Amino acid sequence: MNIIFKITIILSFLVVVTTITSCSTGNPEPEYQSGKLKLEFAHYLNGQELIFDSLMYTNEAGNNYLVNEIQYFISDVTLHKNDGSKILLDGWEDIHYVDTDISESSTYSLADDIDIGDYKKIGFTFGINEEKNNTLMFVNPPKSFMFWPELLGGGYHYLKLNGKWINELQQVSPFNFHLGIGQIYQSYPDSIIGFIQNYFNIELPDYNIIINNNETTTLQIIMNVENWFRTPNTYDHNQWGGDIMQNQDAMQLGVQNGHDVFSYNIKLVE
Amino acid sequence: MKFKVSIIISLFAFLIWGCEDEPIPTPYEPTPYEIDIPFGFPTNLNIPDDNPMTVEGVELGRYLFYDGRLSGRTHSDSLMSCATCHRQERSFEAGVDHPDFPGGFPHGVTGLNTHHVMLPLINLVWNSTGYGWNGFLYPDNPAEELRNIEDFVRLTILAKDEIDSDTTTVKNLFQSIQGYPQLFEKAFGSSTVTFQNIERAVAQFVRTLISANSKFDKYMSGDVQLSQSELNGYVLFTTEEGADCFHCHGGYGNPLFTTHLYYNNGKDTEFTDPMDRFLISGDPMDHGAYKATTLRNIEVQGPYMHDGRFATLDEVIDFYSHDLQVSPYIDPLMHHINDGGIQLTPTEREDLLNFIRTLRDDEFMTNKEFSAPAKFPDE
Repeated sequence: MNIIFKITIILSFLVVVTTITSCSTGNPEPEYQSGKLKLEFAHYLNGQELIFDSLMYTNEAGNNYLVNEIQYFISDVTLHKNDGSKILLDGWEDIHYVDTDISESSTYSLADDIDIGDYKKIGFTFGINEEKNNTLMFVNPPKSFMFWPELLGGGYHYLKLNGKWINELQQVSPFNFHLGIGQIYQSYPDSIIGFIQNYFNIELPDYNIIINNNETTTLQIIMNVENWFRTPNTYDHNQWGGDIMQNQDAMQLGVQNGHDVFSYNIKLVE
Repeated sequence: MKFKVSIIISLFAFLIWGCEDEPIPTPYEPTPYEIDIPFGFPTNLNIPDDNPMTVEGVELGRYLFYDGRLSGRTHSDSLMSCATCHRQERSFEAGVDHPDFPGGFPHGVTGLNTHHVMLPLINLVWNSTGYGWNGFLYPDNPAEELRNIEDFVRLTILAKDEIDSDTTTVKNLFQSIQGYPQLFEKAFGSSTVTFQNIERAVAQFVRTLISANSKFDKYMSGDVQLSQSELNGYVLFTTEEGADCFHCHGGYGNPLFTTHLYYNNGKDTEFTDPMDRFLISGDPMDHGAYKATTLRNIEVQGPYMHDGRFATLDEVIDFYSHDLQVSPYIDPLMHHINDGGIQLTPTEREDLLNFIRTLRDDEFMTNKEFSAPAKFPDE
């Protein structure tokens, strides 16, 4: 009798505890709703998809030129809200490498879950900021092939845009339009007394970017290649020659021209 | 009762005695081979999933690499192995002083010269781009039989201008050589010699051939200082206004000293070699393009370029300095092309050479782990 009584008491206690526990949350917490963002990079020239290795283009300075390959880093991808606040995505992991010879590099799927809602626009750093741009940060190819020599400032190229143009002697001449850390020379080219961080921030125009729950929003980001050589500066290959890594004046033109190089094209939701 | 006890004891004894002669199967437990990644080197290794590195596999591969019977022949006149051409003291390249191949131009067992000269077998575990001067072997090749070092081993043994043998003859020969079946068992879990396991073992050994202890490596790690001339050469090496070697051949940020990519570097104006990079890529801009070789140990190698046209490093530097040839296919990185080259002064030329010599790794070229074994398994 005693045992039955005890078991009854215990069972009753368990039922009460279970009931109380199950009811203790009251109203369920709202489920966190988030989506993803994917960027797809494309490369256009004069409004059309870039045709590589064809001497069919003329820049603002009148140089006939071709593009052989483009390689670059973007980082610090940031979504801007309508209220002026910003969300930096993926933290330290957000340095993405794009290489026109490697098709899979044209897609950048950001890892972070993003609050659902409307966002005003997107921005990013072209290149890598000073804090992150450390030599030997990337030891694996192809990113490691972008290294910028230590004595020229170290870290990595922001951009390699390689091509050829018809020079004033009517020769087909290679150009390496490379951007990275610039140098201040006391006496060129032997004595460097300082460095200049040439990375720059890009904010694309306002564009209603919608992040939906459990969906991936894809933005196609277009590099308009001709803009590297115009607005605000007309960049003349005949003036700056085939290589500019040790020429801050030339790189500075590239930095200034780079702000309007990117645009949106289409937006997809999956 | 005594009878029953006797029966039980007898049965027990019989069982024990019966078990004594039963062979105890040896479990196949190869020892994983760990690659120590040198400072600054890539962490991604090109090791196929179906051929993991093991100590036993590497040991077997080393024997095979050096055993002239890899030709499938036993007569002393027709022995040929990987090491016949790939000499350790020449960074596993032929070298212009090769005793059997004058000028470093190798030929096969039958006397046919190879189409291109050799490439060194160093640091290949970090090559995921493509093997050979035109990169005809690459990991994601749709042709599964043309992907990696394992395939290179097979092609070398089959090639008319190299070993000129066949897979059956070679595997049967090694099956018959005392000691080898046991080594195959230790390495791959079966004493039956297969040609695939021959490929795998040699490839494993080749992947251990790591050169990363040159004077420049010690400079990178802060252990030694370079001379002023070497430092001047380093500046030339890594600046566009200097010699601009680094875009194709690496440097501090890419200590492989190659991109393993393919460039038309201005050697010719006409391109008739059917085995250039164009053959593989189909890209018209790849006419006359070949792999940028690693500059590690380049001093002891040679002849240079895909066709071995230069016997010395001095000739190579002179070519890049003054003798570049203009063609529509020149790589854009050759931005000094219309000047004929980088126009080095005699002092700059010497400085650049002195820097390149800091990439020599004598420890690698004398490392006994990479040398010919003291004796073969049947000796």
